[in-house]
Amino acid sequence: MNFIRTVFVALPKGFLTTLKHLFKKPVTRKYPYERQEMFPRYRGKHYLEIYDDGSERCVCCGLCAASCPADAIYMEGAENEKGERYAKVYEINLLRCIYCGYCEEACPEEAIFLGHEYEFSDDNRDSFIYTKEQMLANRPKKEKPFKRIIRKVRRIF
Amino acid sequence: MSDNGNKITLTIDGRQVTVDRGTTVLEAARSIGIDIPTFCWHPKLKSVGACRMCYVEIEKFRTLAVSCATECLPDMVVHTRSEKVLQGRKAVLEFILLNHPLDCPTCDKGGECDLQDHTFAHGIDDSRFDFPKYRFKRDPKSTFDDYRIGPEIIRNQNRCILCYKCVRANKEIFGEHDLGVFQRGNLAEIDAAPGEKVDSLYSGNLVEICPVGALTNTDFRYKVRVWKTKQVKSICQYCADGCNLTLWARRNRIFRATSRRNDDIDEGWICDRGRYGYQVANAEDRLTTPLVKKGEHHVEVTWDEAIKTIAARFREIKDKKGGVCIGGLAYPGLDSASLYTVSKFFRTILNTNSIDFRYDYKMLPEKAGDVYSEMTAQPFSITGIEKSDLILVLASHLINEHPITHLRVRKAVTKLGSKLYTVNPFATKSGDISTDEIIYRLGTLEALINGVCMALTEQSNEIKTKYADKLKSLIAPSSVEAASKISGVEKERIHNLARAILDAKNVTVIVGEILTGSATRENMASAISNMLLISGIPAKGQVGFLSKYANSMGAQRLGVMPHLPDATVERLKELWDNYPEQPGLAADRILLAGRKEEIDSIFVMGCDPLLLYPDGEFVRESLETLDFLVVADMFESKTTAMADVVLPLAGPAEMSGSFVNIEGRIQTFDKAINPPGQALPGYEIMNRLAAEMKNPLYESDRQLHDEITMLLDMNHKAPAIMDVQEAKYIAEEPGDEYNIALVVTDELHHFGHLTEKTKSLSAFCAESFLEISPALAEKYHAQNGTLLRVESEVGKVILPVRISEHIDNNVAMIYKNFAATPVNVLQMRKRRVDYVRLSRVEEK
Repeated sequence: MNFIRTVFVALPKGFLTTLKHLFKKPVTRKYPYERQEMFPRYRGKHYLEIYDDGSERCVCCGLCAASCPADAIYMEGAENEKGERYAKVYEINLLRCIYCGYCEEACPEEAIFLGHEYEFSDDNRDSFIYTKEQMLANRPKKEKPFKRIIRKVRRIF
Repeated sequence: MSDNGNKITLTIDGRQVTVDRGTTVLEAARSIGIDIPTFCWHPKLKSVGACRMCYVEIEKFRTLAVSCATECLPDMVVHTRSEKVLQGRKAVLEFILLNHPLDCPTCDKGGECDLQDHTFAHGIDDSRFDFPKYRFKRDPKSTFDDYRIGPEIIRNQNRCILCYKCVRANKEIFGEHDLGVFQRGNLAEIDAAPGEKVDSLYSGNLVEICPVGALTNTDFRYKVRVWKTKQVKSICQYCADGCNLTLWARRNRIFRATSRRNDDIDEGWICDRGRYGYQVANAEDRLTTPLVKKGEHHVEVTWDEAIKTIAARFREIKDKKGGVCIGGLAYPGLDSASLYTVSKFFRTILNTNSIDFRYDYKMLPEKAGDVYSEMTAQPFSITGIEKSDLILVLASHLINEHPITHLRVRKAVTKLGSKLYTVNPFATKSGDISTDEIIYRLGTLEALINGVCMALTEQSNEIKTKYADKLKSLIAPSSVEAASKISGVEKERIHNLARAILDAKNVTVIVGEILTGSATRENMASAISNMLLISGIPAKGQVGFLSKYANSMGAQRLGVMPHLPDATVERLKELWDNYPEQPGLAADRILLAGRKEEIDSIFVMGCDPLLLYPDGEFVRESLETLDFLVVADMFESKTTAMADVVLPLAGPAEMSGSFVNIEGRIQTFDKAINPPGQALPGYEIMNRLAAEMKNPLYESDRQLHDEITMLLDMNHKAPAIMDVQEAKYIAEEPGDEYNIALVVTDELHHFGHLTEKTKSLSAFCAESFLEISPALAEKYHAQNGTLLRVESEVGKVILPVRISEHIDNNVAMIYKNFAATPVNVLQMRKRRVDYVRLSRVEEK
């Protein structure tokens, strides 16, 4: 009796579960061929935003560096040919950074954001000093959806 | 009763305070530690009450009172934190912020801005004004409203809160009139006077006292945020005033220097040389490795190799001919430890006394105890100037040589009502505020002073009976008429000066570089000493023979001279195991001996004699004749180019140490950054060299410090002037051909050979020029910028002309700080006054 129940009830039930999953979308991804789409407010690798005319937003005010709890940001200011202030050197030490997002919050010019990039591996420590050029290049093609909202909210307050 | 003579008692926030009559409520509150926010108030300026930030409530007053401009009255009851006051402050801040831009992120003042701080502490969070802010814009096309009003100063009128501190300080303290307020009301703006630039020697202070970011300077522009820097206490490394500085450093780089107020010396003001001069430490062309000449070229070597090379050569010379064949020149702007170790190295290791810091003096005395040295050691204090009712500035371009002493003299004259007499061969800035500006013919100071001595005898019977006969036999010219004729100063003015000296209760006499740099220094010093003796000035006041470099006084006290007073020699014999008995050579004798091949080697520490010794040809010949020349310096110079071994030297910002200023005040400074490359401080170099040759100069820093302290703390009081000295004027007439007297001096914004390496000071002036009077310029049909050939008997240079109203008297002024045009080729070391002729350069 017991044997019959195992063969004719339990086994098909088990196989049915397997069979069902054959037609379901898999939970795992074929990383690195497939990448995960991060949640909108995910805080990954930083990037620097520019104005529509291509000039940098960052004015090197130092508030991001001041608010950084891990002291990961180093910057050197200078004067550009228009007489405006800009960051000659802007470096983030990704190994020090704790991805808290305070820099993004402190920035009065809406220049720095934490993007969706999450691939951080490398074989030497020096390559984790993230320079301004890398941060400008890292800018996503599509605007982060929340950024518009943040800007709108900022404008109100 | 609270009204008690000159004291007044009042109540502030429930606390009783007793103050002098005339004290303002603000000062009274500060004296008991109650803080009242201010913008326009400054402790050294008169109150104007422009910002209205310092409101307090005083009982029985109808309205809120401006505490910085309200004098304390007996039984006043003041509230500084009442509801009404807080509301008043809020309203004031709201008005100030009405047109103030929100560009704190790009403003250099951000982080140390009074407006930020006060708004945070007292202001409201929001603004009720929603119309656009008023904008000043010079150029309507630009998006930017910064505007340069001087070589270093940038003005942003939108940020200005019209506290007028800059304009007031500029007029009250510095006596400049190049900055003013134009327009009124909402449109009022701070600007340079029409056609002028804000380029005075003190212009950097205007930036420092600006409470907001309306005035900023190029030096610090956008480079770093103040809260990221560390502050290091330092002392200015240029002139001997010894102003206290704060260096703002980050990551092994200095970003700016500001004043660290010391009321005994600088009162919070520093000159631009000190403010921007720190940039030599950041300069890119610093020497970083030791160099040894192999064949024609310098080759980079390690310290060990360089030290071994020097030690081997020195040992060879010493064994063969004795240590006397090595001479040393040290820069008196080095720290005390370096100067002391140089002296110790020469005396204990090389066994010679030929070491001198006076590398740019003409004709030095051959023995210890000369009148000039004794006079420089007379006690002098900068605050003492304020106590004097008569200040006598002799042979000194004071603003140029000692800018901060000049400010103290200015304060004594303009605020405290002292009388000032300047006695100079050309008109100076100090002359503008003087009772009488006496201008004598260059090179006739002895005659003039002798004239004053005779005038003193004529006016006072006491002096006449005591000194007249003695004076007549020892001085020449011995009558006022003759002195007047020789010096070209009217008789009445000499008599007036004598009268003023006799009438004064407290006299300060300041003697400067024009005397120090002269070949007849001793004669002039004797003449002045006579004048001091017969008028009894040392008993009623003070005498300052001001030395030039940051540590000249220290060098003198530490014995970096060949001839030392007996007391110092005794002390050094106690300290060291051996002391050379043979007398040494002074700086110019070392160079002379070099030329005569009596000396084989010279060790130059930190100075550039080839540029600054007042006889270019002589010093070049001397250094060329040498077998072995060692130069330690911060930069490559013409002297290092001739050297066999070049050692990289660390600057004062790169070590901790001490300077001794003109008053004999020992001031310590801290290390701000590391030396570039392999550069080492002077004391370290000397110690390594000594260790290689015999034994180290000191075992520990403690020992070095103790030895220096012991020497500096010795009683260095100069002996009192006892008797009338011989002081005879010997006529030295200009020839027919060369008849224009030459003055070679520091440019107003430069000092010595180092400052031309700084960007900011070069922005004020980057090349040497010839300054002549309008009349003289007319004679040669020269305008500003015309090239003139300046020729003396020994050399010639071609320089652009700058016409100055300040000079007259057939004098040509040339500035010596620029390596591109070494002007010392015009000078001769034996001449008291160098004469030149001018001619036009024909354009091709």
